[in-house]
Amino acid sequence: MIEQNLQISNRLGLHARPAALIAQTAAKFQSDISLTKDQITINAKSIMGVMMLAAEFGSSVCLKVQGADEQAAFEALKKIFDDKFNEEF
Amino acid sequence: MLVLKGIPASPGVAIGPAVLLPGEEVTVSKHYILLEDVEGELQKFYHALQKTVEELDQCSRKVNATLGAEYASLLDTHKLILQDPALKDAVLHKIQTEYIAARSAISLTLTELAANFDKIEDPFFKERRNDLFDAGKRLLANLEGNKRDFLASIKKPSLLVAHDLFPSDTINLQENQVLGFCTDLGGKTSHTALLAQSLNIPAVVGLSTASKDVANGDIIIIDGENGLLVINPDRYTLANYRQIKREIKKTESLLKTINHLPVVTKDGRRVHLYVNYDPRTDNKYNKTLITDGLGLLRTEFLFMNTPHPPTEEDQYKMYLAVAKRFDMRPATIRLADLGADKMPDFPLDELDEDDNPFMGCRGVRLLLKNPELLHTQLRAIIRTACEVPAQIQLLIPMVSSVEEVRHVRAAFQQTLQEIEQSGKKPLNKIALGAMIEVPSAAIALDGMINELDFISIGTNDLIQYLVAVDRVNPEVAHMYDPCHPAVGRTIHNIIQTAHKRGKHVSICGEIASDSKMLPLLLGWEVDGLSVTPRMYLRVKNNIRHLNFEHCSDLAQAVLLMGSSAEIRKLVEENNYEDS
Repeated sequence: MIEQNLQISNRLGLHARPAALIAQTAAKFQSDISLTKDQITINAKSIMGVMMLAAEFGSSVCLKVQGADEQAAFEALKKIFDDKFNEEF
Repeated sequence: MLVLKGIPASPGVAIGPAVLLPGEEVTVSKHYILLEDVEGELQKFYHALQKTVEELDQCSRKVNATLGAEYASLLDTHKLILQDPALKDAVLHKIQTEYIAARSAISLTLTELAANFDKIEDPFFKERRNDLFDAGKRLLANLEGNKRDFLASIKKPSLLVAHDLFPSDTINLQENQVLGFCTDLGGKTSHTALLAQSLNIPAVVGLSTASKDVANGDIIIIDGENGLLVINPDRYTLANYRQIKREIKKTESLLKTINHLPVVTKDGRRVHLYVNYDPRTDNKYNKTLITDGLGLLRTEFLFMNTPHPPTEEDQYKMYLAVAKRFDMRPATIRLADLGADKMPDFPLDELDEDDNPFMGCRGVRLLLKNPELLHTQLRAIIRTACEVPAQIQLLIPMVSSVEEVRHVRAAFQQTLQEIEQSGKKPLNKIALGAMIEVPSAAIALDGMINELDFISIGTNDLIQYLVAVDRVNPEVAHMYDPCHPAVGRTIHNIIQTAHKRGKHVSICGEIASDSKMLPLLLGWEVDGLSVTPRMYLRVKNNIRHLNFEHCSDLAQAVLLMGSSAEIRKLVEENNYEDS
């Protein structure tokens, strides 16, 4: 299992578009993928789950990936966080 | 006649018979089925799901071609919501193990999921429940068959009244003879409000009870300018609105023809017309506007709703993106005007609760007490000026004394040196100006004008401080009066003082786009005005119809008048837009 805290660094936080990006990316992998914030854990393949975290700018969420393709899944998801979900600021 | 007040979502006025959108209520009633019906209900659900996803795909392609990828991504979000395992699993579970009919199962699931969104405190995220309901209602509509075709069945020009409308509905509006729409729900950040603006039909949202107060066939007026809905207007009101509609139409057709023309009065006096630009609400229309430059970039939003101040890099990227839009024209960036009603969430130095925040630690006062904030913002702005050919102008908010200007200038010089030592240099000299919005700065402007490169009069705050009226307080709001003799005399004095030293004066605030006040501002020889993109061409058109000499006479006459009533009468008689 891979586990790491990631910071939300786009200004608008995890609103609909970034949530869509996370869910779409997560759905490409076999592994179980979850995000945790403030003791709430959700399935990262669920766009509504991701939106309900209401993760705002500067907050951090814990990404957990477990399964056959966990390394690839983890890297793909970490990259979209690092890229600020392709938002300008 | 009944008038409801809502939120203007898209400008313009529409008059016509009302058509009520039949509700697709998400009900909480449970309808049970028999074991042998389970398979059939599952099929109904799968079928509706597939059909809705296909519909959204089509819609998304259409939107991508007409409104752009940004709007299309909203619809893709709805598709993902429908394909969300959380939704699907819950519906299947209800049908298979609780023997609930597909329709009730979907409704119940939507209600449960929405309850989770309702728990969220942040209004921005809270409104995302609408995405869920939009997607869900589409699904319900497809389950029923062809209920959604209602919109397509509107065959004569009508105004649509709905409890709520969703982006996927609004997309069908224009081609379906709908001249305008209004809804009970909707906030300023809702997708519907954003889409309405790009559709170019008048819209008012947030009317609370419109769908209950209006009956099918009622004559209604949707006033997207003022956010009003008039139900069964009397003859006088109707005539009045017909006149307004004609005016708007006339202006709009004019607008298409004047975008590329210079901003000059009839007798050839050049006025600089700048735009207040907000990168968060950019759209196609804004991009087509030809302007004299950026008159005011407010930067507070970068500091709001965030646990940390924005980094230099974050700010730099934003300023750079904005400044690039204005090529070699002036680009005025205002230092963060925090405090009062714009208080950030992160902790600040020496800042306790203010009893009277508008008189308290805000604007430049707050920045000088938090030198780190000021330094970071200055660095980001100066670095921007090193990269772009735009004439970057730095505007200091809430200045009340010359010392504040000196302190900011010293901080600016120091930061500039710091950056120049690293080998970079602004492509153009950065101008340093002050917002004149506090009476003390206005009256004693001669003492600080030498230290400034330009000034901008912030009329909203200036009027509020001059007449000591808080516009938010309903008891006194009517006394907030741009026609007060003190307002005109103060503006005139400011301009005179600045011009003696050859300094450029521009005006921002609502007064700049008020057609009644425009002749006075020109008459007092203001150099520039800064207005919102939405008002830009209307103001330009007004300026092009004014005669500077006539404005001069009016403005001089107003300086001699002693009461608001006299001044108001004069400006109303000389309002070009109403003539």
